[in-house]
Amino acid sequence: MTEFKKGTRQFWIPYLFLLPNLLIFVLFVIIPAVQGLAMSFTDWSVFSKPNFIGFANFKELFADEVFLTTFRNTLVYSILTVCALVVVSLGLALLLFHNTIKGVKAFRAIFYIPSLLSMITVGIAWRFILGDEMGIVNFLIRSCGGKGVQWLTSGKLAMLSVILVSVWTYAGYYMIIFISGLQTIPVELYEAAYVDGASRWYSFKSITLPLLSPTTLVVSILATINAFKAYELILTMTKGGPGYATKFIVQQVYEVAFLEDRMGYASAMSIILMLMIGVITLIQFKGSRGEGENE
Amino acid sequence: MKKNLLVLLLVCCVAGQLMAAGSSETPVAKTNEPVTLSVLWFNDGNESDVFTATMKDYLASHPNVKVDLQIVAFADYQQKLKMMISGGNPPDLARMATADLTSLIDTVLPLEGYTDVTSLEKQFVPSMLAYAYNKDNKLAALPVEATANGMLVNKTAFKNAGIDVDAVSKTWTWEEWAEIMKKVIAANSSNGMKYGLAVDFTPHRFSTIMYQFGGHFLNADQTAMQFNNPGTIASLQWFKKMHDDNLIPKSVWLGSENPAELFQAGIVACHIGGSWNVNTYKKNIANFEWGTVQMPKASIRSSVPGGKLIASFKGCAHPQAAVDFMIAFADKEHSSQYDKETMNISARVDTNIQYASNASDFNIFADELKVTPAFTANEWKNPNLAKVTAYAKEQIVQYLMGNIDVDTCVANVDKKGAGFFK
Amino acid sequence: MIVVILFAIIALFPILWVALSSFKPQSELFRIPMRIFPEQWTLENYAEALLRGSFQIYFRNTVFVSVISTIITVIISIMAGYALGKYVFPGRNFMFTLMLCTLMIPLQVIMIPIFLQLKRFGLLNSLWGIIIPPAATPTGVFLARQYMTTIPDSLIEAARIDGGGEWFVFRKIIIPLSKPIIATIAIFSFMWRWNDYLWPLIVISKSDKQTIQQALAGFVGQLQVNWSNLLAMTTITILPIIIVFLALQNFFMQGISAGAVKG
Repeated sequence: MTEFKKGTRQFWIPYLFLLPNLLIFVLFVIIPAVQGLAMSFTDWSVFSKPNFIGFANFKELFADEVFLTTFRNTLVYSILTVCALVVVSLGLALLLFHNTIKGVKAFRAIFYIPSLLSMITVGIAWRFILGDEMGIVNFLIRSCGGKGVQWLTSGKLAMLSVILVSVWTYAGYYMIIFISGLQTIPVELYEAAYVDGASRWYSFKSITLPLLSPTTLVVSILATINAFKAYELILTMTKGGPGYATKFIVQQVYEVAFLEDRMGYASAMSIILMLMIGVITLIQFKGSRGEGENE
Repeated sequence: MKKNLLVLLLVCCVAGQLMAAGSSETPVAKTNEPVTLSVLWFNDGNESDVFTATMKDYLASHPNVKVDLQIVAFADYQQKLKMMISGGNPPDLARMATADLTSLIDTVLPLEGYTDVTSLEKQFVPSMLAYAYNKDNKLAALPVEATANGMLVNKTAFKNAGIDVDAVSKTWTWEEWAEIMKKVIAANSSNGMKYGLAVDFTPHRFSTIMYQFGGHFLNADQTAMQFNNPGTIASLQWFKKMHDDNLIPKSVWLGSENPAELFQAGIVACHIGGSWNVNTYKKNIANFEWGTVQMPKASIRSSVPGGKLIASFKGCAHPQAAVDFMIAFADKEHSSQYDKETMNISARVDTNIQYASNASDFNIFADELKVTPAFTANEWKNPNLAKVTAYAKEQIVQYLMGNIDVDTCVANVDKKGAGFFK
Repeated sequence: MIVVILFAIIALFPILWVALSSFKPQSELFRIPMRIFPEQWTLENYAEALLRGSFQIYFRNTVFVSVISTIITVIISIMAGYALGKYVFPGRNFMFTLMLCTLMIPLQVIMIPIFLQLKRFGLLNSLWGIIIPPAATPTGVFLARQYMTTIPDSLIEAARIDGGGEWFVFRKIIIPLSKPIIATIAIFSFMWRWNDYLWPLIVISKSDKQTIQQALAGFVGQLQVNWSNLLAMTTITILPIIIVFLALQNFFMQGISAGAVKG
């Protein structure tokens, strides 16, 4: 780490390196973001002038049943999806991190590819698969004499389907991150444990998991942020239905802003969303640090 | 030091903003100055292609006019327009669905001052023209397509049950329809047919049934929400009963499955869609005979008017050229050609389109429109109602799912609507 | 092993389904019983999609945007990551945290302010409007910074002692060592720009500047979906990213390793 003294010409060097990124960032992200979020204190219909109403939007939010439902849905979806993602991608990584397995590169690529697709594509593909009447899965079930499952038509199952598809899409992405993490654990540790007669489960619990925890933290934070912002995938698959079962905050923000024409109210929702993400991220940070200190 | 840095950054940004090139002034267009009209469009099938082909002769005779056609997904259409308009960059022309036009009625360009409005008004069907007037009762758009909701049926399925659907549909009521459907499904279950009817998952399509039961959205002079009325409640109860009796597949209103796809796969025998489905079904359906029949009635027969209009916007770059273009597109010659090839109903009073095929289907749609009460158009062109229909749809779904009862459903919608009608 | 193969099939199947369906004529798409393979292979969907003429324009635009934006993103992210990871200066943590925080803002909320801002800078209806603003990606900076912290300070010190200025150090030491993370950021950036839908929707209102994703979305109408064109174009659209990923795969893994795992 280099630190330059204030007052020297060199002091400005890090700022110069930072400048191009910062300039674009401030001009096209920060300034609009501040303007957008400031709207949350106004009542603004897109074609009229905003007028200041203080915290009224927030007060209304806490009594807004639809918003509270989307809030709850987003929370449930995010927590379940992140947990499932961590488990599945770690599992896949454990199966595929030895570089000696035949065709391992091909398998890794196969699992990674779903995350490269645009959400519209994913939504379309899975609608064809999980549709009640027109879906492949139900078709197979019915051919075997069973009754079709209401994957996208029943409230609880729709949420499950959406979680499953999200896991399908991103497991490969996080798997790659876990693989890199696993490959940094010195092999000698496992060898030593083996010599000591430790079972595979024991090695996993006391070597792999702790040494993997920085990686796990990165994965869970990235996964959490992405889960809270979920929009296009859900929209293409279920449109937020049935009813409100899979309607999440971002979809509600969009509808309130553009269909009900209440940009200020939508902004207030976004602030709540951001606070939610911030709080959970902080909890995850604290949680991991706490573990680290106990080592 | 941190403070100095922030000041420096702030100065940079402010300077950047000040120096930023604003949108250049648009020179006042003189006639015969080269003009490129920006046209926003959304497609359901081949509309943009037909539009381009139809207006070729106009562009040939007006060489200074060019068209820049941008196609936007319908789901983002209103958002895109609102963004462009509020940013001061509206397109010169846009194809507007009635719902979008209603939401944006204050932003479209009134035509008087650019052309003789009175002679124009006489040329179009009143129920479609109704959508084109703004708050000051000025004409601000021209209808280019009319649509009607209606019932398309799998004729082969009815034949298999020994029923002549063309005959029974002339007088049937919803109750009779239900009885008939049970027979049809039974006769065709070995072919994979499971349900009687699929209804598009939109409030507009549902309102067809609502109106047939004598229901409505608003009170008589459209000043307040009145979803809570006997006709509407009866239609909701009937709708739910058909779901519960498995005459309507739950996966359409509860699962977003596409009714047109179900119909084409032979899973449902009837589809309440509209005139726009004729084009697609003609292209895609090869393994059964299909056609349009009269919809059942409850207390009255009704369809729901709808269609598309073309409009220009206040503050656009070339208003006069846009209006001239609009009038040409909506005139008898161009409009007929367009409607004929997109298989839409004409919105003009003076055209009699000779469709290349399916003339009988269009006759039935036209007939349905004739018996539709006039107030339906007035409801659907109400901007306040436009803000509530999405919520109404969601409440109907809640009722279908059994999460709320019918009285709560209509009460919720009225409550929500009250917020917009004050 | 069997588990892996099973999962691999699940991973690939939906994509294969889309690709295979793109070869079916429209009338076959909604038939029961369903078939996986087309009964009647046809190229008419592709012909229709490609011959619409504009497709080539959209493709060209998307390639241009993705490539140029990736180049810019890589350069500014590496520079920013270097600054944040290898220097200590006032405001360092604040700026880093600020960047990460903005990841939490859904784009839908700030669409209109961004639109107005882009208009002020004359970037509307220009491909630069979808190249420049998204190039300042917090994730790119995050990955770069993490990677930079794994580069030993000793190397940097040694280069300085040899008489190199800061820029010399950056060019001759840092950049060569950063190849893996460059590849990683490049793949991510290319993929994000290639799949971008919201940015072009905001910025582009001229047909000749549209991107592929906008064109794909345009096939979904108010009342029906133009499946034949949609499936064909979707299949074509997936190919380039897969190719880019396969080409850079090795570097990518290394970059993730150092970028996301250590540090």
